[in-house]
Amino acid sequence: MSVFVVVIKELKQFRRDPRSLIMIAMIPLIVMILFGMGYGGEKGKVNIGIVNLDKEALSWTLIDSIMKVKDLNIKAYGNSIEEGRKLIEDGKVSAVIIIPNGFTYGIIKNSSVQLLVIVDESIPTISSMIKSSILYVTYKFQEELSLRAQGNFIEIIYNSVYGPTVTNIEAFTPLVMGIVLQLVPTTLISIAICREKEKGTFEQLIMSPISKFDIIFGKFIAFFIATIANMLITLLVAIYVFNVSIKGSIIDAMLISTLFLIGSLGLGILISVLSRNQLQANQAAIFVFIPALLFSGTFVPIDMLSYFAKIIANLTPMYYFTSAFRDIMIRGVSIWDVSWQTLVLIIYAVLMLTIALKTLKLRVD
Amino acid sequence: MEYAIEISGLTKKFGDFIAVDHLDLKVYKGEIFGLLGPNGAGKTTTIRMLCGLMAPTEGSIKILGYKIPEERNEAIRKIGYMAQRFSLYEDLTVYENMEFYGKLYGLKGSLLRERILKLLDFLELSEFKDRLAGKLSGGMKQRLALGVALIHNPSLLILDEPTAGVDPSLRRAFWNYFRNLNKEGTTILVTTHYMDEAENCDRIGLMSKGKLIAIGSPRELKRKAFGGDVIELKIKGDINSLPLKILETRKENDITIVRAVLNDISKELPNIFNLLDSHNIKLISVEPINISLEEVFIKLLGEIP
Ligand SMILES: Nc1ncnc2c1ncn2[C@@H]1O[C@H](COP(=O)(O)OP(=O)(O)OP(=O)(O)O)[C@@H](O)[C@H]1O
Ligand SMILES: [Mg+2]
Repeated sequence: MSVFVVVIKELKQFRRDPRSLIMIAMIPLIVMILFGMGYGGEKGKVNIGIVNLDKEALSWTLIDSIMKVKDLNIKAYGNSIEEGRKLIEDGKVSAVIIIPNGFTYGIIKNSSVQLLVIVDESIPTISSMIKSSILYVTYKFQEELSLRAQGNFIEIIYNSVYGPTVTNIEAFTPLVMGIVLQLVPTTLISIAICREKEKGTFEQLIMSPISKFDIIFGKFIAFFIATIANMLITLLVAIYVFNVSIKGSIIDAMLISTLFLIGSLGLGILISVLSRNQLQANQAAIFVFIPALLFSGTFVPIDMLSYFAKIIANLTPMYYFTSAFRDIMIRGVSIWDVSWQTLVLIIYAVLMLTIALKTLKLRVD
Repeated sequence: MEYAIEISGLTKKFGDFIAVDHLDLKVYKGEIFGLLGPNGAGKTTTIRMLCGLMAPTEGSIKILGYKIPEERNEAIRKIGYMAQRFSLYEDLTVYENMEFYGKLYGLKGSLLRERILKLLDFLELSEFKDRLAGKLSGGMKQRLALGVALIHNPSLLILDEPTAGVDPSLRRAFWNYFRNLNKEGTTILVTTHYMDEAENCDRIGLMSKGKLIAIGSPRELKRKAFGGDVIELKIKGDINSLPLKILETRKENDITIVRAVLNDISKELPNIFNLLDSHNIKLISVEPINISLEEVFIKLLGEIP
């Protein structure tokens, strides 16, 4: 089978390419450590969400004051109480402050107003820290307003829920997996075919009895073998170095990761078929990575994006991967419960490889 | 089937530029055919189209009876190809490169091993078999490329400037390989810029600006360029009045040296003696001139508009 002849040849070349080997071993570590240092541990800011149903002047003033609290980090905004709850359930934030409709009006009219705070009580130190911070903010807020609105009173109503108990590093693990599993395989394989064209080896290769299938899948399989290590390194570092716990089955986590890895390789090989040279291929690999990173829903919740950005988000496979991985990891669901994302990732992988196969021309032009 | 290569009306345009212009060419089985021409004449483009590496704009191609591109898969199993630019894997060793291609042609196990070792021996590359191809010298790279082209015992070898950048003794060795392979029945299509190499070809096609401007054996081309065989006469006396096709005359003391063209040297030489005799011109010596192909090509290329 010619395809295996190509696999062996590619692996031999790979072994002699220190740059690729370093990329495979180091990138997962670097990305994981960067996120670990930046967001890891119990220390540092606590993420909260805000649902502003008032949208009048004083609600913005309050939000400004909250922003100034050094222990709190407003990570997400929601449009409804439901959305606020979901932010906690998904482990994205530890608390959500809901500013009710009529907040500004009430203060101006000197009647008492309420703030609803939903708190994740699963980590007591964090929840008590949040409560004291909010108390402090509202006290300061009232103090600043005291000249204008004397004697008014903000009542804080706490609503305790038990979230999935995620540490910050756990919240970021799906994104780290997504970054590693897209960036490394796509960049590595993106030069696989255009390098042959650039160096002229393609001309000799296609004078032998080799098919498009042999070329595409030979390279694909070889890079799959090489980059599966990436997935394992990232997962192991997360679990053993950063104590990330996978609530669902580790096999499911690996399965969904492998699926995304296959899609990334498919994307990379398509880029390789379409690029004229290695530089172009590398740039394209980075270029497609940026929207995936921005709109994958980890930095900014999808619901908060503009309509246009939402469409882009829904087109990035990374979004489907991180959401499926998060559900398996944090909510402990099985791969069957995320069958929609799984299906999208399968379609993505098949589509990329098929288009690559169709676009490759056994020609030098 | 007597032709190894039949092409007719072969044309390649790059945008408005015509690189190959309605080329008709037939190469017989068992011959060494040299494709010659100045840089940019269209030799590589022609070869790439022959091999199905480039789609022709127009024209039809048959290699060993197979239509290109329709039956390319059958044809390439019988073609050994050496590109103008080194096109093997620099990060694989000599042996690994040959092994990779051998396996693609379906060779395996001890058969493949023996084939590779035999070729390495033939090409005097045995001691470098574990060296990375990227670390070879230019001449060694060319030998490796020839080795890969030969791995599957092809019946047609297509070699695009196989001796470019190769030292004179290795060039001679290359042509020894070619002649040996040719004796065993391999048809060879080769391009070169070295005229001494071209003399080794059974037939030569001269390309210029995408067109084939002359074709034939080296001797035929020489006759074509000058309209016959060229002789050099050393005489005493005035020759200008004689009915001879004279190329040039020059004087050394009282001796005139004349280059003249005869339609057929074997038939006309006796007439020359008579002619000179009857005009009382004293003949000192006469000899046939072996014109270099270089002169021939310069003349033929100079004649085209
Ligand atoms: N892919 C291409 N795109 C545009 N022009 C091309 C392309 N390939 C070749 N050409 C042009 O076609 C002409 C013929 O090129 P070709 O390589 O066939 O010449 P050649 O006879 O092999 O020359 P040399 O002896 O220098 O190798 C040249 O003018 C070249 O610039
Ligand atoms: Mg050329």
